[in-house]
Amino acid sequence: MKTKAATAACVSLIVVMLGAALGSVSIPPSDIFSIISHKVSGSPLPGHIEPALAAIVWNLRLPRALLAFFVGAALSVSGAVMQSVLRNPLASSYTLGVSSGASLGAGIVILYGVTIPFMSALTLPFLGFLFGLGTIFLIMAIVSRLDWQMENITIILTGMVFTLFINAVTMLMSALSREHLQRLIFWQMGSFSMKDWQAVFILAPAAVLGTLFVAHFNRELDIMTFGEEQAKTMGVDLKKVKWILLVTAAALTGSAVAFVGVIGFVDLVAPHIIRKLFGSAHRYVVPMSALFGGAFMVVCDLIARTIVSPSELPVGTVTAIIGAPFFAWIYFGGRKKKAKVG
Amino acid sequence: MLTLKNVSAGYDGTDVVKNISLDVKNCENLSIIGPNGCGKTTLLKVIANLLPFKGDVEIDGKPIRKMKGREISAKVAMLAQTSGIYFAYSVFDTVMMGRYQRMDSGFFGLPSTEDAQHVTRCLEAVNLVAEKDKEITKLSGGQLQRVFLARALAQQPEIILLDEPTNHLDLKYQVELVDYLKKWAPENNCAIIGVLHDINLAMQLGENIMVMKNGEMQAYGKTSEVITGNLLEKVYEIDVARYMAASLKRWESLQG
Repeated sequence: MKTKAATAACVSLIVVMLGAALGSVSIPPSDIFSIISHKVSGSPLPGHIEPALAAIVWNLRLPRALLAFFVGAALSVSGAVMQSVLRNPLASSYTLGVSSGASLGAGIVILYGVTIPFMSALTLPFLGFLFGLGTIFLIMAIVSRLDWQMENITIILTGMVFTLFINAVTMLMSALSREHLQRLIFWQMGSFSMKDWQAVFILAPAAVLGTLFVAHFNRELDIMTFGEEQAKTMGVDLKKVKWILLVTAAALTGSAVAFVGVIGFVDLVAPHIIRKLFGSAHRYVVPMSALFGGAFMVVCDLIARTIVSPSELPVGTVTAIIGAPFFAWIYFGGRKKKAKVG
Repeated sequence: MLTLKNVSAGYDGTDVVKNISLDVKNCENLSIIGPNGCGKTTLLKVIANLLPFKGDVEIDGKPIRKMKGREISAKVAMLAQTSGIYFAYSVFDTVMMGRYQRMDSGFFGLPSTEDAQHVTRCLEAVNLVAEKDKEITKLSGGQLQRVFLARALAQQPEIILLDEPTNHLDLKYQVELVDYLKKWAPENNCAIIGVLHDINLAMQLGENIMVMKNGEMQAYGKTSEVITGNLLEKVYEIDVARYMAASLKRWESLQG
């Protein structure tokens, strides 16, 4: 298992490097290392690398690849938590209204031009995050009043009702201010273009700390997959742990969505693929989902920006187009073989 | 060790269990029987602190209302019917989950050598050591229920609650499960309170028995003294003599 984990970590690193190396102009990986070392430690840039090329790698490609990695990691870990806590293989932060809330926040910024003084560039991600997280807090507060045991079915149903309601409010706002509609639609499709180091510096610590925090609850996550009563009889403080984990998962999704818009599918498939490859124990599922989801997102973004170059595809469509058959191959491939043997 | 005083509990304001008082001693095996809906499972949920209740429940003299979830689970384990299994854990990892309330090993809560040794002992007790690396989704119903029994044993409880764990199991596995428990419990100073659907199996498990109907206790005492045809007729509302005669006749015809 340790070898598998080490291999996964190395593959992820290589994928991020490839994300920075490949594009309209391809750059050898050795040059990528030279550019990084030049920027980080101040070592001289080799003569054959033009400063303009170094600037492309350092200012555009590397932050974009790293941002894609941390977004994929945050979404996948969040998906793993939601599926296990709610014991529902289709559950995600999106089911609980996080992306709808973030879209509403983004809609207010984009459609009405709201800005926060002294941090106008961060207004969109900040309000997106705040609304995304605010939605789940509201849902959980309502659920705890409706159902003292906070059963999963109550959480999922309340989340779905809220998602539909908030989506309707966002659509109503969009319908009333059509001149900004296109920008909102593009934001909702998700994209990594025009992202710089600032986004990486904010999202990377959030994703890493969030993943470590979730990993701290790996035993509780394992036990909770067996159902709420069993978890309680084994000593899990269910109500408290559920609150902590759902809010952490929502914060992970909220912070990713806030910077790059709504990107679906990765949070659904990455944990399932990891469970298939590494088993269900969350001491593996959490870190491996982060690595796999991150690497998967870098690959999807690479395809999104190169396949119809110089234009770009919305990365959310690529995650689904690439992810769906890949998921089917990993998840159902084994069954077909077994059926043949049987 | 376990004392219930005037316990009532239920759902949506209606009491399903009414005014039950009970005293279970160390290593006692108590079976609870009664018709469907008589409150057997609800009573077990009260003892496991899964339901709010009126009255008092004490374990070793301490009210469970004042105990934390971890503290209760170190004393009380529960083995229920197997429900849907969605995630493919290994047998070993599943049993290790029973150590949760006793483990405190670092930020990521990885198990210690002692925990691993204890889990191996529990797997030996239910004869599943050879299957320890198998995924639980690939086990038979009987094997799976033995895994859950091993997980309950891993909690090192003073009381094991059985909530119809033999439902959906073949006769062989039903008898096997009760045999494992009856061997393990006295060796580990553990009491068993079992709700079993099958009256014969319930009588086989418990030297003491409690009979319930409509949430109330109808009889309680030594199994050999309490269970009579009249009592079963009254509780289950069936003609026991006719039922037993028909069963005996079938058995004799099978013997040839």
